[in-house]
Amino acid sequence: MNHWIILPLLLPLITGALLLVSARGPLRFQRALSLLGTGALLLVAVYLFALANDDAIGVYLVSDWPGPFGIVMVLDRLSALLLLLTAVLALGALLYAFQGTDRQGPVFHALFQFQLLGINGAFLTGDLFNLFVFFEILLIASYGLLLHGGGKLKTRAGLHYVVLNLTGSSLFLIAIGILYGVTGTLNMADLGRVAATLSPEDVPLAAAGAMLLLVVFALKAAILPLHFWLPHAYGETTAPVAALFAIMTKVGVYAIIRMFTLFSHDGGPLTGLVEPWLLAAALLTLAAGTFGAMASLDLRRKIAYLVMVSIGTLLLAVSLGTQAGLTGSFFYLVHSTLVTGAFFLIADLIAKGRQQGAMITEGVRPAGSAPLGVLYLLAAIAAVGLPPLSGLVGKVLILMAAQQTPWLGLIWTALLVSGLLILVSLARAGSYLFWRGPVSTSDHAPSWPLLTPAILLLSTSPLLVLFGGPMTEFAAATAAQMLDTSAYIEAVLGQTPISPRIPLEAP
Amino acid sequence: MELLLASIIGLLVACGLYLILRSRTFSVVLGLVLLGYATNLFLFASGRLATNQPALIGEGPPFADPLPQALVLTAIVIGFAMIAFVVVLALRARGELGSEHVDGLDREADQ
Amino acid sequence: MPIGSIILLPLLGALLPPLMVRHGRAVVAWSAALVTALALLVGLWHAPAVFSGSDVSSHREWIPMIGLALSLRLDGLAFLFVMLITGIGLLIILYAYYYLPKDDRLGRFFGLLMLFQSAMLGIVLADNLLLLLLFWELTSLSSFLLIAYKSNTRVARQGARMALAITAGGGLAMLAGFLLLGHVVGSFELSEVLAAGDLVRADPLYLPILILILLGAFTKSAQFPFHFWLPNAMAAPTPVSAYLHSATMVKAGVFLLARFFPVLSGTETWSYIVSGIGLTTLVLGAYIAIFKHDIKGLLAYSTISHLGLITFLFGLGTPLGAVAGLFHLVNHAVFKASLFMAAGIIDHETGTRDMRQINGLWSFMPYTATLAMVAAAAMAGVPLLNGFLSKEMFFAETIYHSWVGPLEWLVPAVATLAGVFAVAYSVRFIHDVFFNGKPVDLPRTPHEPPRWMKIPVEVFVALCLLVGIFPEQTVRPLLDISVASLLGTTPEYHIAIWHGFSMPLYMSMIATVGGILLYTQRQRLFAAHDRWFPRTSGEAAFQYSVKRIRDLANRLIAKIDNESLQRYVAWLLGAAILVTAAPLVSGWQIFGGVALSPLDGVSLAAAFILVVAALGTVIARRQRLFALIMTSLVGLIVTLTFVHFSAPDLALTQLSVELITTVLMLLALFFLPGGPRQEVSRWRHWRDLGLAGIAGIGTAMLAFAVMTRPSISISDYFLATSKPLGGGQNVVNVILVDFRSIDTLGEITVLAIAAAGIFALLWGLRLAVPTHDLEGRRWAQDVHPLIMSMIARPLLPLALLVAVFILLRGHNLPGGGFIAGLVAAIGLILQQIASGIEWTQKRLRISYLAMIGVGLLIAVATGIGAFVLGYPFLTSATLHPEVAVIGEIELASAVAFDVGVFLVVLGTMMLILENLGRLSGASPPSSSVESVSEKT
Repeated sequence: MNHWIILPLLLPLITGALLLVSARGPLRFQRALSLLGTGALLLVAVYLFALANDDAIGVYLVSDWPGPFGIVMVLDRLSALLLLLTAVLALGALLYAFQGTDRQGPVFHALFQFQLLGINGAFLTGDLFNLFVFFEILLIASYGLLLHGGGKLKTRAGLHYVVLNLTGSSLFLIAIGILYGVTGTLNMADLGRVAATLSPEDVPLAAAGAMLLLVVFALKAAILPLHFWLPHAYGETTAPVAALFAIMTKVGVYAIIRMFTLFSHDGGPLTGLVEPWLLAAALLTLAAGTFGAMASLDLRRKIAYLVMVSIGTLLLAVSLGTQAGLTGSFFYLVHSTLVTGAFFLIADLIAKGRQQGAMITEGVRPAGSAPLGVLYLLAAIAAVGLPPLSGLVGKVLILMAAQQTPWLGLIWTALLVSGLLILVSLARAGSYLFWRGPVSTSDHAPSWPLLTPAILLLSTSPLLVLFGGPMTEFAAATAAQMLDTSAYIEAVLGQTPISPRIPLEAP
Repeated sequence: MELLLASIIGLLVACGLYLILRSRTFSVVLGLVLLGYATNLFLFASGRLATNQPALIGEGPPFADPLPQALVLTAIVIGFAMIAFVVVLALRARGELGSEHVDGLDREADQ
Repeated sequence: MPIGSIILLPLLGALLPPLMVRHGRAVVAWSAALVTALALLVGLWHAPAVFSGSDVSSHREWIPMIGLALSLRLDGLAFLFVMLITGIGLLIILYAYYYLPKDDRLGRFFGLLMLFQSAMLGIVLADNLLLLLLFWELTSLSSFLLIAYKSNTRVARQGARMALAITAGGGLAMLAGFLLLGHVVGSFELSEVLAAGDLVRADPLYLPILILILLGAFTKSAQFPFHFWLPNAMAAPTPVSAYLHSATMVKAGVFLLARFFPVLSGTETWSYIVSGIGLTTLVLGAYIAIFKHDIKGLLAYSTISHLGLITFLFGLGTPLGAVAGLFHLVNHAVFKASLFMAAGIIDHETGTRDMRQINGLWSFMPYTATLAMVAAAAMAGVPLLNGFLSKEMFFAETIYHSWVGPLEWLVPAVATLAGVFAVAYSVRFIHDVFFNGKPVDLPRTPHEPPRWMKIPVEVFVALCLLVGIFPEQTVRPLLDISVASLLGTTPEYHIAIWHGFSMPLYMSMIATVGGILLYTQRQRLFAAHDRWFPRTSGEAAFQYSVKRIRDLANRLIAKIDNESLQRYVAWLLGAAILVTAAPLVSGWQIFGGVALSPLDGVSLAAAFILVVAALGTVIARRQRLFALIMTSLVGLIVTLTFVHFSAPDLALTQLSVELITTVLMLLALFFLPGGPRQEVSRWRHWRDLGLAGIAGIGTAMLAFAVMTRPSISISDYFLATSKPLGGGQNVVNVILVDFRSIDTLGEITVLAIAAAGIFALLWGLRLAVPTHDLEGRRWAQDVHPLIMSMIARPLLPLALLVAVFILLRGHNLPGGGFIAGLVAAIGLILQQIASGIEWTQKRLRISYLAMIGVGLLIAVATGIGAFVLGYPFLTSATLHPEVAVIGEIELASAVAFDVGVFLVVLGTMMLILENLGRLSGASPPSSSVESVSEKT
């Protein structure tokens, strides 16, 4: 058993605990600690990514009990990819937070690490209830981070976010209750196995449980009509937090993909349960996101809506239920997460550079608009999906995937029109922000330490294109692995513990 | 008995949700508490009902299903943490927004 | 030299100018000129191969999955364009150096110009559909940035945005078309696509492919009805207008027509759409051009009209049509570029572009005037100039190609009409600007421009004449190879100034005479135009639709999201109910079949109390204290339920949590006095009742369905193994600290985070202490009543004792670190309530955050302990016999974990309550709220 698999949980947990111990200590020390932990996490993630690059599925029996009885951590291509993505994004956000955000309130770094713990756990765990636990970790940490620094609008957005998610957590528990009541198991792989062999009279109940799960995940992913919290929460919170949250919605998407590929294991009765819902919801989310982006005058709010657009696009690809669709969605997921993350930082730099914040109505150019303008332009190009940045590749993959479906016309129109509208809106915002009025007298011309994190995150976009060949190959392999549920179930349930155990007889 | 428990869960869910839909933070908190009870009971019930059969080895089978109990224990603790947080958040909201309305009182003042 | 360098040189060149700015304008200009010249040379270096009819090509895989490859091909057509782009580019650079104001350091300008040039070269060299698209959109972007070069003017910004929206939008359509095309052909390699013409034309997808690709071409080449962006792009500096918006970028559209000629042309649809649109644009552009008072406006519309002419020629789908199209494309590029430059000079010298002010410049700048007039004559199609030749071929094509059947006469007629207009606006350009009396209050008095600024114009005009007089010797070979790459063969044709008295010649004459006549009647014409010509333009439509969409967006968003939590929750419930009910509606029997367990009176009574309490909470929610009591009553019954259904651990935990929660809520209650009751609309009231009710009933049904199903579960394994291997009798506890110990770790982590979060929330928050509660009763003034403290003090040691006891007996019987922590906390809390925080603080000085952190670390450490022994994380020491013999370790690990839990729980509780207590601290009685975050 490879102990590395548990490190993405241990590193942030220990770092976070240490940060709590030194909560009253000097900020410099906390920063060093936090950076150390995140850097180490990145290295581990890189190693695990390399590890998962063969088709072997790494299974880690926590407390050495075999699945489905104990809790297992599973490292396959998708989880490895997302771990790496999270680590990169986190590094960027953290470096930016060093520029003063972490001074606006206490225990920022501890919360930051615990946030990472929750996200990594959600990506790694192979147990449904354990997923709930990690969701709660991720949520309670996000509550703290979201409200970091305080302020009227932030507090209100936070209150809404918290209450909605607490209600969502209750739904999660009920869903788990139903599924356990019907299947008698909690291990995801085992759930997939049992779901395939459900007796007909149990199918409706199990389906209801599954659908309730979908709602919970949809709330996390901010899918229409459960998206309301997102524009306000992301629009009002501090930039590094917003940047880090770019991955949070993706956790919901990940959970949807993970659970419902398993529920469709070997054509069982739950196969194709969600796809029609997903397609409709995806189109609505895409539309709402696009309109929201056009309507919002605050750049940060605009970008928050762009997050919704990316979610809609992702789900479109997922709802196809094909390998091509998943391939596109995985590539687009990586691209959109990093780009929106960078975009939030850039928006904050712009806001810092002018007195009126990021409202695009008032015409003062930000101080140091030359580098900011270039960054904004690139981020916009990537977000819209124009060449030569990664957005185009993701979009083309998804368009191609949609080609074999009866929904071709609908999906293509939705994606292309939305792209055009966002282009118009971002061009307008850009020309207002950078081409109008006198240059701001604000002395907050962005320094290199401020620019670096944004550049770091944004530079991934051209890299995704430059190495588009291998990247798309990896995405395709990931998709294939996701659809090969039998291999997953075998690997998870087949892993034998180190200590002698009673041979497991199927319940 | 099952019927009774089921309807109790239903009632708690209904009351909880109705309170969550109110406009005062305090009512919302109460609602979340009730909803928490309901979900814990639901999760507990998913292990079926067994009277006077604690899952203690040595007291002889049949046993109550121990797994849901363990889950509920975890859920209770997490639920507590969440409630504690949201209570304090309600205080903060009153401090920041100067009101106990979940949306804050005057929107204009926020802009 | 690989042909890739033709694109790469300018691309790198794009970085050069910005880096050179510190060395002065000249160096910047030279650096741009250098890379352009190099690109030109590389092109020429390949000339022999190309002229010998063998294409130069290179191929390199990039992203196979989307069919994107770095495939380039230099064939005749590409060669022609490379020459145009780089050649004209050189002259433009020279011109721009003088045109742009001295205070402009040129870095940004030439950088963008080189970027565009590289992208444009990419378009013509690309041999892969997606690669072509990539460069295509790049030209749109660079054009956007160049149009907005004078960004502080409104027209520049708007013109740029419009151009971007139209051209990039067309690009997206083209992308769709390319994807379909590649799908049909089975390859995105252009060379393979071009070879598959018959296959494509036969495919049912042909029409959508054609339309989508044409959308790309027409938007780029400013064809009706997308033509309007071009005049608005005239806000760009004149060198840009000359280069992008007349000579090269707008030609990309017609280039696309040429490129895809072998695949898409040759069908009725193609002819009707392409030549139809082309003809319309030709006439419309020429007509509007007459009425533009702005020189650049006139030239822009004339450009539109000439692009229409070229489009028309390709639309015919005949070999000769293609020849004429390419020929006119070259000619137009030459004379229009020179005209724009002349216009730029005039603008530069007079300070205006309005032809109602600019008159009689002949007397100020005769030399420039001469050049401009020759070029204008070429534009009008006067013999001995290049424009004449291609126009003759165009006229010829309109006659000898009958595609409208009965209306055969129509096309030539329309063509002649367009010719009339063309002559008219050309004459106007010449006469208004250089003659027509004296200038009207010019900003400056004009004179000849600097010597070098005229060089480019001279070169172009010279070309007009050369080509016009010796076509066969000059342009013929270029035409031949480029036509060959379209048609595979070179058709029989000859370009001559004198065809004898033929139909085309008559048409030219009519056009010339008619044009001059029309110009003489211009006053009446203008009047008629103002009266009759419809005001609604494509531009207005565009602006309108953009605005409409934005309004729609605003209204929609405002409608969906009223920023009210209640609505959000309602949506959440609605969605949950909908999707959960969906699978249940059809044939679901709720009752699972297992016999129900019997009811007993006690349970009924308990249930009754619970119902009352729950409803009481809802109804009495405004009497907050009472509501709170009701809630805890519910909690109590739930606890009893756990007891009744053999879950002692749950009961114990629930009870202690209950206590803490109540204390917490009581404290909160103190700061949440409540306010005036909110009026809720009737329907909101019913909506909430409905949602809550349905959700409740649904949950009840689900719960009942689950409970009455035969139980299958993995739990049997726990029961079977937990004694022999789990080393504990209390299976629930074994599950918690062993089977699912990471859940427990996660659970206390949640507690820890909550504590940290709460700490952050309360940081610097101060709330005023209300002196009265909601009913106006005065809060007790005696904060710490004596009796209370008398009772509380002895309780503390007792509580701690109990805590330790529970902590130690945990593993085999109900209990464990969690409950111990709670008990201890309760003891301390009593102290605080009784004697106040300060009192308690004085007696234990510790940072609770640190305590929590340490607790977590201990718990994690016990888990990591297993590593040392080579077991996975959190493997409980009891579980490997060979170690279990040392009983101490077993005890150590289990207890250590519980100690960790204990510390976290205790720390959390104390931190929360202490900070809550602090809230009321030193706060000015008057101000209700004061928060640090306001300052930060």
